[in-house]
Amino acid sequence: MKTKLLPAVLLVALCAGCSSMGVEPWDRDVLAREDMQLVTDPLEAATDDHIYFSKEASSGGRGFGGGGCGCN
Amino acid sequence: MADVGVTKMTKSHRKNDRSVSATLAAATCALLGTGASAPVDAQEEPKWDFNTSFLYYGEDENRVQDASLKSIIRRLFADDKSLSIGVTVDTLTGATPSGAIRQDVAQTFTRPSGNAAYSVPAGELPLDDTFKDTRVALTANWTQPAGEKGLLSVGMSASKEYDYLHTGLNANYAHDFNNRNTTLSAGIAVARDSIEPVGGAPTPFTPMLDVGDVSNRNGDQDKDVLDVIFGVSQVISRDLVMQVNYSYSMSDGYLNNPYKVLSLVDGVTGDTLPRTTPLPPDGGPSGQFLFEGRPDERTQHSLYTQAKYNMNGKVLDVSYRYMTDDWEIDSHTMDVRYRWPIGAGSYLEPHLRFYTQSEAEFYRLSLDSSQPLPQFASSDYRLGNFDAITAGLKYGWKTRNGNDMSLRVEWYTQSGTVPAGQLIGNQAGRDNYPDLNALIVQFSYRFSQ
Repeated sequence: MKTKLLPAVLLVALCAGCSSMGVEPWDRDVLAREDMQLVTDPLEAATDDHIYFSKEASSGGRGFGGGGCGCN
Repeated sequence: MADVGVTKMTKSHRKNDRSVSATLAAATCALLGTGASAPVDAQEEPKWDFNTSFLYYGEDENRVQDASLKSIIRRLFADDKSLSIGVTVDTLTGATPSGAIRQDVAQTFTRPSGNAAYSVPAGELPLDDTFKDTRVALTANWTQPAGEKGLLSVGMSASKEYDYLHTGLNANYAHDFNNRNTTLSAGIAVARDSIEPVGGAPTPFTPMLDVGDVSNRNGDQDKDVLDVIFGVSQVISRDLVMQVNYSYSMSDGYLNNPYKVLSLVDGVTGDTLPRTTPLPPDGGPSGQFLFEGRPDERTQHSLYTQAKYNMNGKVLDVSYRYMTDDWEIDSHTMDVRYRWPIGAGSYLEPHLRFYTQSEAEFYRLSLDSSQPLPQFASSDYRLGNFDAITAGLKYGWKTRNGNDMSLRVEWYTQSGTVPAGQLIGNQAGRDNYPDLNALIVQFSYRFSQ
């Protein structure tokens, strides 16, 4: 039971820790900019994921591990 | 995750616009047919987003060349719902390392189809030049809000090559906390792939046979892949946002490369053993080459972290990924981009990426005939010990009618080493690792209406 509770406790602790960070909604001008999104260019990101999936033994991380090709 | 930011901007308007939802739905249908605008708040107006790119990827020494056309078309509906369709068409040609080692004499090999033979000059890396394929890939994703602070996305993917079929489903849920400064997300993807090798999948560790002999082939194979991802993104300040993802990937089934072989070598000289029977008139392998064999399961764990930092309009994007798996491959990836605005709507973006990986526990340059065969072995360079660097520059600009264009040029280079303990006799004096140099050029065009 304790082990099941642990992730929940950690999650709450994490969120509590995060609650002191961040900005108010009216301070989101910079964060709302397209160049500040975590993935700025979805096509480029998808292209890179596919190239590196084909040529290296690692994939994914940012999102799902690519795949869907016989190249690896 | 990029979608979340867009959603955040528009979500605050949602309550006020519930009454116009029905009108918007009708307008959506009208837009599909006529392209006429509905008289609603501009920010909520349903619209299309077209993102298309042409990619050239070319490796030197006539290895893999890929010309690829990729489009993501996104349809934005009322109430922050969207449908995204992706289409990719790849045309691949060129040569790829067969897995056999260089020799001081010319070598011959049977093609994967089993229908013909090809030869490799003395001293050269054996490349199979029959590689030719067209790949068509489709993705579809539906995204919609789930409650006040949730965002749900479900999707499917499929791709087809001559010798490969992929089908997959995925789902992702993201939830905002702390005044939308924290987002927790969880996703799952399942895939079933069918491998349909030219001539059939060979039995691992059986020899490459003479032209016309396909007695060691087993037809088509398949594999299942399960991916699970958990993520946290956090706004730290007005100029800094960070993300941490943990992902788990489990592959089960046929994980071999059906076209790769290993040279069976003399335990003293390290040279490939010659064939034991005379070469038949139709041709066949000059030496003894065995098809590779990998475990039928692989479990990967990745930890990915990314930060985006605004510095007076310039944006620094840094990410790092650590990957470890039960094939004993560990890798580190560091990626840095710096977006530097130069005038209205234009920017330059230098990009550097460093990658390093250790070899799989069953990576072998060759198989020592004086030793018992291992349970698993592959000489695929992608499972070896190597470093890779990508260096590139992107230039982006806005066209007169406000659309985005960009051009990027990048160089990708891999250089690897075979563990010294694996080199036998004459192998020590040869260049054993197939180093790779590639040019990447991508032109992208994006417009909305």
